Amino acid sequence: MSQPTRRTTTASRWLATGWLLLLVSGSLLAPWLPLPFLPAVPDLAHLAEAPAWGSAPTHWLGTDPQGRDVLTELLYGARQVVSITLPAAALATLVGALAGGAAGFWGNGGLRLPWAGWLTGAAAVWWGLALPGRGVVAPGLLGLAGLAWWVGRRPGAQPSGWAVPLDGLFQGALTLLGAVPRLVLVLVFAAGPALGATQVMGLLVLVAWPEPARQVRTQMLRVRELPFVDAARAGGLAPARVWYRHALPHACRPLLATAPLSLAGLIGLENTLAFLGVGRSPDVPSWGNLLGTLQQEPGAWWILASAGGALVLTLIALQQLAQQAVKRN
Amino acid sequence: MTVLGRWLLAQLGRAGLAAWAVTSFVFILSRLDATKPVDLLLGEPDAQRTTLAAGASAARRLAVEQRLGLAEPLFYVSRAQQAGVVSWQWHGLHNQYHHWLVGLAHGHLGLSFRDGQPIGPRWRAALAYTLPLAGLATLGAVAGSLCLGLALAGGPQSRGWRAGLHLLLTGLQGLPLFAVALGLLFAFANPDVLNILPAYADAATAEEAWPQQALRLVLPVAALVLAVLPELALLLASILSQELSADYATTARAKGLTTNQVLIRHALPNALLPLLTAWAGLLPTLVAGAVVVETIFALPGTGRLLAEAVAAHDYPVVVAGVLFTALARLLALALADVLYAWADPRIRLTP
Repeated sequence: MSQPTRRTTTASRWLATGWLLLLVSGSLLAPWLPLPFLPAVPDLAHLAEAPAWGSAPTHWLGTDPQGRDVLTELLYGARQVVSITLPAAALATLVGALAGGAAGFWGNGGLRLPWAGWLTGAAAVWWGLALPGRGVVAPGLLGLAGLAWWVGRRPGAQPSGWAVPLDGLFQGALTLLGAVPRLVLVLVFAAGPALGATQVMGLLVLVAWPEPARQVRTQMLRVRELPFVDAARAGGLAPARVWYRHALPHACRPLLATAPLSLAGLIGLENTLAFLGVGRSPDVPSWGNLLGTLQQEPGAWWILASAGGALVLTLIALQQLAQQAVKRN
Repeated sequence: MTVLGRWLLAQLGRAGLAAWAVTSFVFILSRLDATKPVDLLLGEPDAQRTTLAAGASAARRLAVEQRLGLAEPLFYVSRAQQAGVVSWQWHGLHNQYHHWLVGLAHGHLGLSFRDGQPIGPRWRAALAYTLPLAGLATLGAVAGSLCLGLALAGGPQSRGWRAGLHLLLTGLQGLPLFAVALGLLFAFANPDVLNILPAYADAATAEEAWPQQALRLVLPVAALVLAVLPELALLLASILSQELSADYATTARAKGLTTNQVLIRHALPNALLPLLTAWAGLLPTLVAGAVVVETIFALPGTGRLLAEAVAAHDYPVVVAGVLFTALARLLALALADVLYAWADPRIRLTP
């Protein structure tokens, strides 16, 4: 790589990191910053006004058609991103890594559960759901489980059981979640009453985990055939330990590059919801909500420039980070 | 039937099963609370209901419940909990879910909770707007991705205009559709900047000449195309540059063919198979994108119908929307299978 391109790469990396740091610190410090206006409190004397930096108190970035201060809404919107979307992306990556890693490592036949385990589980489900005749069936199943345990414990007994179809379950879940595009899926769940912060986070995790999971599974299929995994197995380590300590860290390598992209996708999705006015209550400050007011006031260039600019800069910065990670891998 | 053909059919079957499961799940989820839809239709918020005269109101509620079919049990079995004792009950075929399934098989989508009217005609009217939109956007995205991908792969991507195009496409790739559409709306349909294209289709009248109606589709189609184009073009470019480094491409160049001939005659047919998968994924993406685009440009299509139904808690319309989107994906998969068989002679769907 020649000299000037390397310099531009470094510069773009610093720019991207700098913008993201500015965003995070600004959003975390928002309640203590000397902002002249509070979020979601309309200033009815100034509706949809362009920035005018003469009068005090100043609307530095103008106001929206409801009289809310754009700068305050921007900062508190960034707070939403940091407090909801970022944890949701992290959680989705974690869930995806564990699920995809397990499905890839054990496949359909790798994880054998002894008969006693299956029978105890069936008894617990029968009792818990209160299916008809639970007073007879559940103890009967438990007795069978005890019998199976006793038979399996006798010296010279072959280990027997039924494999958990982990990979089949995993693929089924992916097919089910992939049956409709995720925007439609989120819209359907948001069709009820307004969602709280935790529910939004759960919804975002639900639609975001398949992507990292698929990648980790693909990588795991390759990693589990490598010599060091065989060596760990031959050394007598328990399969769960081989999986967690040896195979999983290697299978998770591609996530370094895709985690920023997955966060960017979730930010886009969350702001699309806010833009459509679905899911959260309209008082929750967010960039998408701010951009949605453009439909009432199409000439409000200051809203498009500030909220749209913040959104675009954040997404491009995350993309830059992802590309750097790809190059370093 | 070959192994690949069977695999494709199995994929189709799995997708169909998933479509049925998701739609059923959404249907049952939406009907769990039977009082909400009746409130919606009677136009009585909860606070008001308590103060109304109980007798007249209860009779009206019962009438509405019976008309919407909400008086029946929800599913084949139900689980009731009374004073700590849980009991399961079998309801037979007279339940809401079964009637909904039978209705679907006969082509009835059900009644709207908003106004009690059948949903089918409304969806058909909306489809008349969305189908041209999605079709044009598909054509635009396929043609655009072919042109841009070939142009990008035609030379080194680190210098000159190709580097600029690459950078532009990468930047555009990360943006959500609503940001792209808002940008277009602001740039081309704004009295303050450039007012060259009409933005809002609501103003359209039936007797308007077709060139005017076509003009109204320009911005929405452009927004949809811009949202899906970068990914496709960059994918094609990367596959093509991989193919160009293969031995057969070197041989073709050694025969004296130009870069363009090698690209189009030799590399493109090999790059087509992975691209077909990406093209098949376009249809569901565009249907979801229609939600955003039709809201922004005020087109009365299926996307806007779905968005409004979600905002108004009109669940039967939402369930129909999920069904429609899942069917679009099924159709796209089937189409991809047929295209696969056409593009790769090793796959034969019929023996």
